[in-house]
Amino acid sequence: MVTFSINEIIPDRKVVYQSQGIKQEVSVPQKITNLYDYSLSLFTKNVEPKGLIKEISILEFSEIFQGNGENEEDAPVQHIFPLADSLALFALTLGKTISDTISDLFNRQDFALASMLDSIASASADKAASIAELNFRKSSKTFLYCPGYCGWHISGQQQIFKKLEPERIGISLNNQFLMIPLKSISGVLIAGDKEIHNFDNDFTFCAQCKTFSCIDKKDML
Amino acid sequence: MDILQQISDQIDLGDDEKVHELTTTAIEQKIPVKKILDEGLLQGMNIVGQKFKEHKLFLPEVLMAAKAMNAGMELIKPLLLSDSIPMKAKVVIGTVRGDLHDIGKNLVGVMLKGAGFEIIDLGNDVTPEKFVETAKTEGAEFIGMSALLTTTMPVMKEVVDQIRKENLEEKIQTLIGGAAVSRSYAEEIGATAYCYDGSNAVEYLNSIV
Repeated sequence: MVTFSINEIIPDRKVVYQSQGIKQEVSVPQKITNLYDYSLSLFTKNVEPKGLIKEISILEFSEIFQGNGENEEDAPVQHIFPLADSLALFALTLGKTISDTISDLFNRQDFALASMLDSIASASADKAASIAELNFRKSSKTFLYCPGYCGWHISGQQQIFKKLEPERIGISLNNQFLMIPLKSISGVLIAGDKEIHNFDNDFTFCAQCKTFSCIDKKDML
Repeated sequence: MDILQQISDQIDLGDDEKVHELTTTAIEQKIPVKKILDEGLLQGMNIVGQKFKEHKLFLPEVLMAAKAMNAGMELIKPLLLSDSIPMKAKVVIGTVRGDLHDIGKNLVGVMLKGAGFEIIDLGNDVTPEKFVETAKTEGAEFIGMSALLTTTMPVMKEVVDQIRKENLEEKIQTLIGGAAVSRSYAEEIGATAYCYDGSNAVEYLNSIV
């Protein structure tokens, strides 16, 4: 089990603003600042972060990665994990209450508040994943790779769930391999020499990608 | 200042309480409800939409304005219905079967409502049958579908195929959007249009309605 304090997973305000379409260089109107502050107070009141981590061997992961046989023919993770020093399955959730709160706010027509809280929660889940990356193997460079991205088919979640059992921290999987609560992340932490994470984003599926997370990762190498 | 202008201004400022108060006054003054809608509420949202397009407002401000507009809409909606005044068009929206991500779909709904469209929001995890049946029953001209996952995208095709099968392409158009979806996917499955966000959906529908 991995524990996160609420304070350590509070995201950078600028990251949240960015996901709301507010660029760093602009001056933010007071009513948006107030909205952010109120959303953050709701976030800290309703978030229940929990995580799980389980080390596995390269051999074990190679079976998990195959999943239901629906991965792209060639995908970066299949070149990275055989070179890893250590691997661990990982899952985290911010809990059901935060997702329910976002839905309730939308239903009450508090659209701006719901949207800001959603952005805070998403950025917070990413920050918690980054903390897990930093803490896994301090001597190596660790990145989290998740099913549903970079050619690793989302059905890979099923194999991760079989091995890790994130149901223990309240995460379940629906029949489309979607994690519930929504503000949850699962994947594999791959630790090793930083060079193993370096790949060119010219795979067939990269043209359709809208996340550009590999570029962010490259910047961190 | 003209009360309709005040309603419009308060929408721009995102003050829902003020819009509620002013709309109540406008109704009491017997201003025709269509005029309140067009020259007060929709006018306000048009200005907001334009400012957003010109990067003079941010998304949270648009959403505050939408809440303010809804505060007025709730007051005039029963009057619009009793006077049989139609909205621009009816749009059935939902996140497709198996997918529970609804924030993007909700934002599209908010923006379309703000632009004067009637929205029937089916929520998330919506089956193809439910999309098509609702559009038929409600006489909706558009179905808007959202999917965040590559595994749930094929449900959009099921809806498009069902519409074709029932020869409803002339009556019901399909719009798709969401993180997993692209323009090329819309073309591939024969959806009418791909909309990358709420304001793009508004722009598209305004161009054809």
